[in-house]
Amino acid sequence: MNNAIEVENLTKYYEKFLAVDRINFAVKQGEIFGFLGPNGAGKSTTQRMLTTLLTPTEGLILINGQDLARDSYPAKRQIGLVPEESNVYTELTAWDNLMFTASIYRVPRNERAKRAQELLETFGLWDKRDIKAENFSKGMRRRLSIAMAVIHKPSLLFLDEPTPGLDAQSIRAIWELIRQMNAEGTTVFLTTHQIEEANQLCDRVAIISHGKIAAIDTPERLKANFRRVQSVEVALEPSETLKVSETFRVSNEGLESLPGVTTQVKVGDKTRLYTEDPSALIPRVVHFAESRNLRIVSLNTLSPSLEDVFLEITGGQLGAVSQEEEKPARRGMGGRK
Amino acid sequence: MNFERIKDELAQAWTVAIKDVRVYYLRPGMIMFGFLMPFFMFFSFSVKRDVGAAEGVARLLAMTVFFTAGAAGPFIIPTERKIGTYDRLLAAPMSLMTLLLGKTAVGAFFAIAVSGVSLLAGLLFFGAEILQPGLLAAGIVLGAFSFSTLGLAFGSMPTTNPGDVQMPSTLLRWGLLFISGVFIPLSEMAPVARTIAYLSPLTYAQDVMNHAVLGSGAINPWLDLSMLALSGVLFLIPSVKMHRRARVLGR
Ligand SMILES: Nc1ncnc2c1ncn2[C@@H]1O[C@H](COP(=O)(O)OP(=O)(O)OP(=O)(O)O)[C@@H](O)[C@H]1O
Ligand SMILES: [Mg+2]
Repeated sequence: MNNAIEVENLTKYYEKFLAVDRINFAVKQGEIFGFLGPNGAGKSTTQRMLTTLLTPTEGLILINGQDLARDSYPAKRQIGLVPEESNVYTELTAWDNLMFTASIYRVPRNERAKRAQELLETFGLWDKRDIKAENFSKGMRRRLSIAMAVIHKPSLLFLDEPTPGLDAQSIRAIWELIRQMNAEGTTVFLTTHQIEEANQLCDRVAIISHGKIAAIDTPERLKANFRRVQSVEVALEPSETLKVSETFRVSNEGLESLPGVTTQVKVGDKTRLYTEDPSALIPRVVHFAESRNLRIVSLNTLSPSLEDVFLEITGGQLGAVSQEEEKPARRGMGGRK
Repeated sequence: MNFERIKDELAQAWTVAIKDVRVYYLRPGMIMFGFLMPFFMFFSFSVKRDVGAAEGVARLLAMTVFFTAGAAGPFIIPTERKIGTYDRLLAAPMSLMTLLLGKTAVGAFFAIAVSGVSLLAGLLFFGAEILQPGLLAAGIVLGAFSFSTLGLAFGSMPTTNPGDVQMPSTLLRWGLLFISGVFIPLSEMAPVARTIAYLSPLTYAQDVMNHAVLGSGAINPWLDLSMLALSGVLFLIPSVKMHRRARVLGR
């Protein structure tokens, strides 16, 4: 099978600032490829280079086997682009926005109206087609922006963070559309910093940090490679009633010094203990509770979430919920040396 | 490049131009710098100076074309860069030249429309007569083209803030206005001033208008038209360069 995108040694300097550092990857045709990384990692920079908006400092980009630097026209005809902001023409109606993009993307005249109607219906904007986009909510604009990106049925769709700031319903609708387009054969390059989004949608995920690719794999295999971020979550309760402020401290103090615990994080009324070997840790936790006369309210083992993998690689702290974490963050693999 | 592709590209340029006209004609920035400024400039320099009707109309026409055509580019492109819609155009399957042509056409449309208003005013209120309508039309169109690409050169500066561009572009246009033969006829200028006046494309536009409305000018009208066309093409060069630069800088 051919690759929809192939990138070799892609590098971008903004003046002297190195934003993307000799990255290599390939996206297979028909794949949903996630490009995941924290703020400022170089995601948008990479996507902008892939969509001809930014000239690389160095490196090669092949779109469907063709060198983008040599002739971008064939690639541009096949690409659909949902930029980072929902940049629709606010002075135009939803309908006119779609007609305009259909026309600059050379959608045959007799197909434009049909295609626009289909999309507006899919996105729940058909009733609003004659309303100027300036009166649209953020979610409606985003949906319109995506509709504009796919009106010419691109074979390769780029989305730069399509869902932040939207309600659950809009997010579902957008995910559903991405899945549906993918099922119809569109290759999707999805830039996001939302782990759950990558987990839900992507066949493969690249994790980018400080301009370098730290890992590329399927979500499940990424998780499997990070055994050490498995965890045991336990909720303990003292047998006698204490002041609220005391309860948690009394019942959880000392858990972090159990053998095998790498990191401890308070998660609501529970404590999450990261460990490489949950099965060895569980008896110790039970013993801990018995010896202090504590009641075990709940005890669960958790496999690593993609979020754990992500934080592990990008050098963030495990269990983002807790800020009072004492131990220093663990060293990221891909962090800048 | 084949014929089909050229046809496509021209259609795209047209689409871009029409879209911009619809989106921007009512924007305060456009109304201020494109529609009010030329009339304001005209009246502040012509009232109380005892200008003949025909002479006044020729001057008003040159000035409206000059200011209106040049106002679109510096306003529209930085605005679109700022709100992010410019990326849609840059990523679309059309050449940079096509995009620039579309953007040039926007300024030219505005200029032609506003000069139409000036012309009507000239005919109705000042009782001016147009001696050579064909020449007038050619002068307006080529002048609009030249001044629009001049504005585009400013609009192409790699910035996302229209304010950054408005100032230098306004200054340059005023400069070109004052060195040109709009206020003082070329024949009455000192040789040095006259040489400098030849540097301003507005000089040629004014001279065409003089030919068309007054029936006489200081330069051959064909030379005037050629100079307008040539300067219009030349002003596209910095636009192309700055678009490339913007793509390197990422703005
Ligand atoms: N035009 C520019 N000029 C200079 N530096 C830039 C420019 N654009 C981006 N950068 C810098 O390059 C780095 C990568 O930016 P980029 O926008 O690619 O990050 P990102 O991964 O998309 O982040 P986010 O999640 O915030 O969108 C950042 O440090 C940013 O400040
Ligand atoms: Mg980004």
